[in-house]
Amino acid sequence: MKKTFHIIILGLFIAQSLVLYVVEGMLPVPFIAPGAKLGLANLITVIALYALPRKRDVCLILLVRIILATAFGGGINAFLYSVAGAAFSLGAMMVLQKTGKFSIIGVSTAGGIFHNLGQVIVASLVVENIKIMLYLPILAVAGTGTGILIGITAIFTLRHLKRLPIYRRMQEENQAIN
Amino acid sequence: MKHIIKKGDIVLIITLLVLSFIPEGIFYLTGNDASVSRTYAVIQVDGKVYKEVPLSGHHGTDVIPIQTEEGYNLVVIQDESVGITEADCPDKICISEGFVSKPGATVVCLPHKVLVEVKSAGDDEPDVIPAH
Repeated sequence: MKKTFHIIILGLFIAQSLVLYVVEGMLPVPFIAPGAKLGLANLITVIALYALPRKRDVCLILLVRIILATAFGGGINAFLYSVAGAAFSLGAMMVLQKTGKFSIIGVSTAGGIFHNLGQVIVASLVVENIKIMLYLPILAVAGTGTGILIGITAIFTLRHLKRLPIYRRMQEENQAIN
Repeated sequence: MKHIIKKGDIVLIITLLVLSFIPEGIFYLTGNDASVSRTYAVIQVDGKVYKEVPLSGHHGTDVIPIQTEEGYNLVVIQDESVGITEADCPDKICISEGFVSKPGATVVCLPHKVLVEVKSAGDDEPDVIPAH
Protein backbone atom coordinates (compact mmCIF):
# COMPACT_ATOMS: atom_id res chain seq x y z
CA MET A 1 0.00 0.00 0.00
CA LYS A 2 2.72 2.43 0.92
CA LYS A 3 4.72 1.45 -2.09
CA THR A 4 1.69 1.96 -4.32
CA PHE A 5 1.30 5.49 -2.97
CA HIS A 6 4.92 6.17 -3.68
CA ILE A 7 4.66 4.89 -7.24
CA ILE A 8 1.53 6.94 -7.89
CA ILE A 9 3.12 10.13 -6.60
CA LEU A 10 6.16 9.61 -8.82
CA GLY A 11 3.90 8.76 -11.74
CA LEU A 12 1.97 11.99 -11.22
CA PHE A 13 5.13 14.07 -11.20
CA ILE A 14 6.44 12.35 -14.34
CA ALA A 15 3.12 12.73 -16.14
CA GLN A 16 2.90 16.42 -15.27
CA SER A 17 6.42 17.20 -16.40
CA LEU A 18 5.88 15.23 -19.61
CA VAL A 19 2.68 17.14 -20.34
CA LEU A 20 4.46 20.43 -19.72
CA TYR A 21 7.25 19.30 -22.05
CA VAL A 22 4.81 18.42 -24.84
CA VAL A 23 2.74 21.59 -24.36
CA GLU A 24 5.90 23.67 -24.43
CA GLY A 25 6.76 22.15 -27.78
CA MET A 26 3.47 23.46 -29.13
CA LEU A 27 3.90 26.99 -27.82
CA PRO A 28 5.34 29.49 -30.26
CA VAL A 29 8.30 30.75 -28.27
CA PRO A 30 9.76 34.08 -29.28
CA PHE A 31 13.02 33.36 -31.00
CA ILE A 32 15.80 34.58 -28.74
CA ALA A 33 18.48 32.10 -29.66
CA PRO A 34 18.49 28.47 -30.82
CA GLY A 35 18.43 26.29 -27.75
CA ALA A 36 16.81 28.88 -25.54
CA LYS A 37 13.37 27.80 -24.42
CA LEU A 38 11.05 28.16 -21.48
CA GLY A 39 11.96 24.92 -19.76
CA LEU A 40 8.50 24.46 -18.30
CA ALA A 41 9.23 20.81 -17.49
CA ASN A 42 11.90 22.10 -15.12
CA LEU A 43 9.08 23.49 -12.99
CA ILE A 44 8.13 19.96 -11.94
CA THR A 45 11.75 19.16 -11.17
CA VAL A 46 12.01 22.18 -8.88
CA ILE A 47 8.74 21.37 -7.13
CA ALA A 48 9.75 17.72 -6.71
CA LEU A 49 13.10 18.84 -5.33
CA TYR A 50 11.33 20.72 -2.55
CA ALA A 51 8.30 18.46 -2.05
CA LEU A 52 9.94 15.05 -2.06
CA PRO A 53 12.31 14.28 0.81
CA ARG A 54 14.21 11.65 -1.14
CA LYS A 55 16.52 13.10 -3.80
CA ARG A 56 16.71 9.73 -5.52
CA ASP A 57 13.09 10.15 -6.51
CA VAL A 58 13.79 13.52 -8.11
CA CYS A 59 16.54 11.97 -10.24
CA LEU A 60 14.18 9.19 -11.22
CA ILE A 61 11.42 11.61 -12.22
CA LEU A 62 13.82 13.61 -14.36
CA LEU A 63 15.36 10.56 -16.03
CA VAL A 64 12.04 8.90 -16.85
CA ARG A 65 10.70 12.17 -18.17
CA ILE A 66 13.67 12.59 -20.51
CA ILE A 67 13.39 9.02 -21.81
CA LEU A 68 9.66 9.43 -22.41
CA ALA A 69 10.17 12.87 -23.98
CA THR A 70 12.69 11.32 -26.37
CA ALA A 71 10.06 8.77 -27.33
CA PHE A 72 7.49 11.52 -27.84
CA GLY A 73 9.62 13.43 -30.27
CA GLY A 74 13.28 14.23 -30.60
CA GLY A 75 16.10 12.02 -31.66
CA ILE A 76 19.24 10.77 -30.01
CA ASN A 77 20.78 14.24 -30.22
CA ALA A 78 17.95 15.79 -28.25
CA PHE A 79 18.36 12.99 -25.72
CA LEU A 80 22.06 13.73 -25.31
CA TYR A 81 21.44 17.44 -24.86
CA SER A 82 18.63 16.81 -22.40
CA VAL A 83 20.61 14.36 -20.27
CA ALA A 84 23.64 16.64 -20.09
CA GLY A 85 21.53 19.68 -19.32
CA ALA A 86 19.51 17.78 -16.72
CA ALA A 87 22.57 16.31 -15.01
CA PHE A 88 24.24 19.72 -14.70
CA SER A 89 21.05 21.47 -13.71
CA LEU A 90 19.94 18.94 -11.11
CA GLY A 91 23.43 18.61 -9.66
CA ALA A 92 23.74 22.37 -9.21
CA MET A 93 20.24 22.69 -7.78
CA MET A 94 20.79 19.90 -5.26
CA VAL A 95 24.05 21.38 -4.02
CA LEU A 96 22.58 24.88 -3.74
CA GLN A 97 19.44 23.64 -2.03
CA LYS A 98 21.52 21.79 0.53
CA THR A 99 23.44 24.93 1.52
CA GLY A 100 20.11 26.51 2.56
CA LYS A 101 21.40 29.97 1.70
CA PHE A 102 19.26 30.42 -1.38
CA SER A 103 15.53 30.58 -2.01
CA ILE A 104 13.72 28.60 -4.68
CA ILE A 105 14.26 31.45 -7.14
CA GLY A 106 18.03 31.32 -6.76
CA VAL A 107 18.09 27.54 -6.96
CA SER A 108 15.93 27.34 -10.05
CA THR A 109 17.83 30.15 -11.79
CA ALA A 110 21.12 28.38 -11.15
CA GLY A 111 19.45 25.24 -12.50
CA GLY A 112 18.49 27.08 -15.66
CA ILE A 113 21.99 28.46 -16.20
CA PHE A 114 23.66 25.12 -15.51
CA HIS A 115 21.21 23.42 -17.86
CA ASN A 116 22.45 25.67 -20.63
CA LEU A 117 26.06 25.07 -19.58
CA GLY A 118 25.59 21.32 -19.93
CA GLN A 119 23.95 21.72 -23.31
CA VAL A 120 26.66 24.02 -24.59
CA ILE A 121 29.35 21.54 -23.50
CA VAL A 122 27.60 18.68 -25.29
CA ALA A 123 27.01 20.87 -28.33
CA SER A 124 30.69 21.76 -28.57
CA LEU A 125 31.55 18.05 -28.27
CA VAL A 126 29.01 17.00 -30.90
CA VAL A 127 29.95 19.70 -33.40
CA GLU A 128 33.62 19.46 -32.37
CA ASN A 129 33.92 23.21 -32.19
CA ILE A 130 34.78 24.80 -28.87
CA LYS A 131 33.62 28.20 -30.13
CA ILE A 132 30.02 27.28 -29.32
CA MET A 133 31.03 28.17 -25.76
CA LEU A 134 30.97 31.81 -26.86
CA TYR A 135 27.24 31.39 -26.96
CA LEU A 136 27.05 30.81 -23.23
CA PRO A 137 26.37 34.41 -22.08
CA ILE A 138 23.25 34.72 -24.25
CA LEU A 139 21.94 31.38 -23.06
CA ALA A 140 22.80 32.23 -19.46
CA VAL A 141 20.74 35.41 -19.65
CA ALA A 142 17.83 33.48 -21.19
CA GLY A 143 18.21 30.80 -18.50
CA THR A 144 18.13 33.48 -15.81
CA GLY A 145 14.87 34.85 -17.13
CA THR A 146 13.10 31.52 -17.30
CA GLY A 147 14.72 30.36 -14.06
CA ILE A 148 13.29 33.31 -12.12
CA LEU A 149 9.82 32.73 -13.59
CA ILE A 150 9.97 29.00 -12.83
CA GLY A 151 11.14 29.79 -9.30
CA ILE A 152 8.23 32.18 -8.64
CA THR A 153 5.76 29.66 -10.08
CA ALA A 154 7.24 26.90 -7.92
CA ILE A 155 6.94 29.05 -4.78
CA PHE A 156 3.24 29.63 -5.35
CA THR A 157 2.57 26.03 -6.35
CA LEU A 158 4.35 24.70 -3.28
CA ARG A 159 2.46 27.14 -1.06
CA HIS A 160 -0.82 25.61 -2.20
CA LEU A 161 0.54 22.08 -2.35
CA LYS A 162 1.53 22.24 1.30
CA ARG A 163 -2.11 22.85 2.30
CA LEU A 164 -3.23 19.55 0.78
CA PRO A 165 -3.48 16.53 3.08
CA ILE A 166 -1.70 14.49 0.42
CA TYR A 167 1.44 16.59 0.91
CA ARG A 168 1.71 15.60 4.57
CA ARG A 169 1.12 12.01 3.60
CA MET A 170 3.89 12.28 1.03
CA GLN A 171 6.31 13.32 3.74
CA GLU A 172 5.18 10.61 6.16
CA GLU A 173 5.16 7.84 3.57
CA ASN A 174 8.59 8.79 2.36
CA GLN A 175 9.93 8.76 5.88
CA ALA A 176 8.31 5.37 6.45
CA ILE A 177 10.06 4.01 3.34
CA ASN A 178 13.36 5.37 4.55
CA MET B 1 8.56 39.93 -3.37
CA LYS B 2 11.00 40.75 -0.62
CA HIS B 3 10.25 37.69 1.46
CA ILE B 4 10.55 35.14 -1.35
CA ILE B 5 13.87 36.27 -2.78
CA LYS B 6 16.97 36.24 -0.63
CA LYS B 7 20.08 38.35 -0.85
CA GLY B 8 22.05 35.21 -1.68
CA ASP B 9 19.91 34.66 -4.76
CA ILE B 10 20.87 37.98 -6.30
CA VAL B 11 24.55 37.40 -5.51
CA LEU B 12 24.33 33.90 -6.97
CA ILE B 13 22.61 34.98 -10.16
CA ILE B 14 25.01 37.85 -10.80
CA THR B 15 28.00 35.61 -10.07
CA LEU B 16 26.79 32.96 -12.51
CA LEU B 17 26.09 35.53 -15.20
CA VAL B 18 29.57 36.97 -14.82
CA LEU B 19 31.08 33.47 -14.87
CA SER B 20 29.28 32.73 -18.11
CA PHE B 21 31.55 35.26 -19.79
CA ILE B 22 34.66 33.22 -18.94
CA PRO B 23 34.80 31.41 -22.30
CA GLU B 24 34.46 34.80 -23.98
CA GLY B 25 37.47 36.05 -22.03
CA ILE B 26 39.54 32.96 -22.68
CA PHE B 27 38.92 33.18 -26.41
CA TYR B 28 39.71 36.85 -26.36
CA LEU B 29 43.08 36.20 -24.71
CA THR B 30 44.15 33.02 -26.49
CA GLY B 31 42.08 32.49 -29.61
CA ASN B 32 42.97 35.79 -31.17
CA ASP B 33 44.98 34.23 -33.98
CA ALA B 34 42.24 32.04 -35.32
CA SER B 35 39.04 33.91 -34.65
CA VAL B 36 39.95 37.44 -35.62
CA SER B 37 41.12 38.05 -39.15
CA ARG B 38 44.86 37.92 -39.56
CA THR B 39 46.42 41.07 -40.85
CA TYR B 40 49.74 41.42 -42.60
CA ALA B 41 51.65 44.27 -44.09
CA VAL B 42 52.70 44.22 -47.72
CA ILE B 43 55.63 46.41 -48.60
CA GLN B 44 55.84 47.25 -52.28
CA VAL B 45 58.65 49.05 -54.00
CA ASP B 46 58.03 50.33 -57.52
CA GLY B 47 54.97 48.09 -57.87
CA LYS B 48 56.78 44.90 -56.88
CA VAL B 49 56.26 43.12 -53.58
CA TYR B 50 59.35 43.71 -51.48
CA LYS B 51 58.31 41.95 -48.29
CA GLU B 52 55.26 40.61 -46.45
CA VAL B 53 55.19 40.88 -42.67
CA PRO B 54 52.51 39.35 -40.43
CA LEU B 55 50.98 41.90 -38.05
CA SER B 56 48.52 39.80 -36.02
CA GLY B 57 50.09 38.61 -32.83
CA HIS B 58 53.22 40.67 -33.41
CA HIS B 59 54.86 42.09 -30.33
CA GLY B 60 57.74 44.49 -29.98
CA THR B 61 59.39 46.58 -32.64
CA ASP B 62 60.98 45.40 -35.89
CA VAL B 63 62.69 47.67 -38.37
CA ILE B 64 62.94 47.05 -42.09
CA PRO B 65 65.31 49.41 -43.89
CA ILE B 66 64.56 49.88 -47.57
CA GLN B 67 67.44 51.21 -49.64
CA THR B 68 66.75 51.66 -53.33
CA GLU B 69 68.25 53.86 -56.00
CA GLU B 70 65.33 56.25 -55.39
CA GLY B 71 66.22 56.79 -51.73
CA TYR B 72 66.03 55.44 -48.19
CA ASN B 73 62.99 54.55 -46.04
CA LEU B 74 62.78 52.91 -42.63
CA VAL B 75 59.65 50.81 -42.20
CA VAL B 76 58.89 50.05 -38.56
CA ILE B 77 56.57 47.27 -37.38
CA GLN B 78 55.42 48.17 -33.91
CA ASP B 79 53.20 45.56 -32.27
CA GLU B 80 50.33 45.16 -34.70
CA SER B 81 50.80 48.38 -36.62
CA VAL B 82 53.14 49.51 -39.34
CA GLY B 83 54.55 52.87 -40.30
CA ILE B 84 57.51 54.70 -41.78
CA THR B 85 59.67 56.61 -39.33
CA GLU B 86 62.64 57.71 -41.39
CA ALA B 87 62.95 58.80 -44.98
CA ASP B 88 65.30 60.97 -47.01
CA CYS B 89 62.60 62.16 -49.34
CA PRO B 90 61.94 65.92 -49.47
CA ASP B 91 58.30 66.05 -48.29
CA LYS B 92 58.28 63.42 -45.48
CA ILE B 93 54.56 62.81 -46.01
CA CYS B 94 55.04 59.09 -45.31
CA ILE B 95 56.34 59.83 -41.81
CA SER B 96 53.49 62.18 -41.05
CA GLU B 97 50.99 59.44 -41.88
CA GLY B 98 52.02 57.66 -38.70
CA PHE B 99 51.25 54.04 -37.91
CA VAL B 100 48.39 52.09 -39.47
CA SER B 101 46.95 48.71 -38.48
CA LYS B 102 43.52 48.36 -40.09
CA PRO B 103 43.09 46.30 -43.28
CA GLY B 104 43.09 48.56 -46.31
CA ALA B 105 45.13 51.32 -44.70
CA THR B 106 48.25 52.45 -46.51
CA VAL B 107 51.41 54.42 -45.92
CA VAL B 108 52.89 55.79 -49.11
CA CYS B 109 56.19 57.40 -49.96
CA LEU B 110 55.51 58.66 -53.44
CA PRO B 111 58.97 59.99 -54.38
CA HIS B 112 60.56 56.62 -53.55
CA LYS B 113 57.65 54.55 -54.94
CA VAL B 114 57.34 52.75 -51.60
CA LEU B 115 53.88 51.51 -50.65
CA VAL B 116 53.03 49.84 -47.36
CA GLU B 117 49.57 48.33 -47.29
CA VAL B 118 47.78 46.43 -44.51
CA LYS B 119 45.85 43.44 -45.78
CA SER B 120 43.77 40.79 -44.06
CA ALA B 121 43.66 37.07 -44.72
CA GLY B 122 41.40 34.29 -43.61
CA ASP B 123 38.30 36.39 -43.29
CA ASP B 124 35.39 36.95 -45.59
CA GLU B 125 34.61 40.36 -44.17
CA PRO B 126 35.21 43.13 -46.62
CA ASP B 127 38.00 45.56 -45.88
CA VAL B 128 35.90 48.43 -47.15
CA ILE B 129 32.21 48.92 -46.57
CA PRO B 130 30.65 50.52 -49.64
CA ALA B 131 28.70 53.65 -48.75
CA HIS B 132 25.56 53.40 -50.83
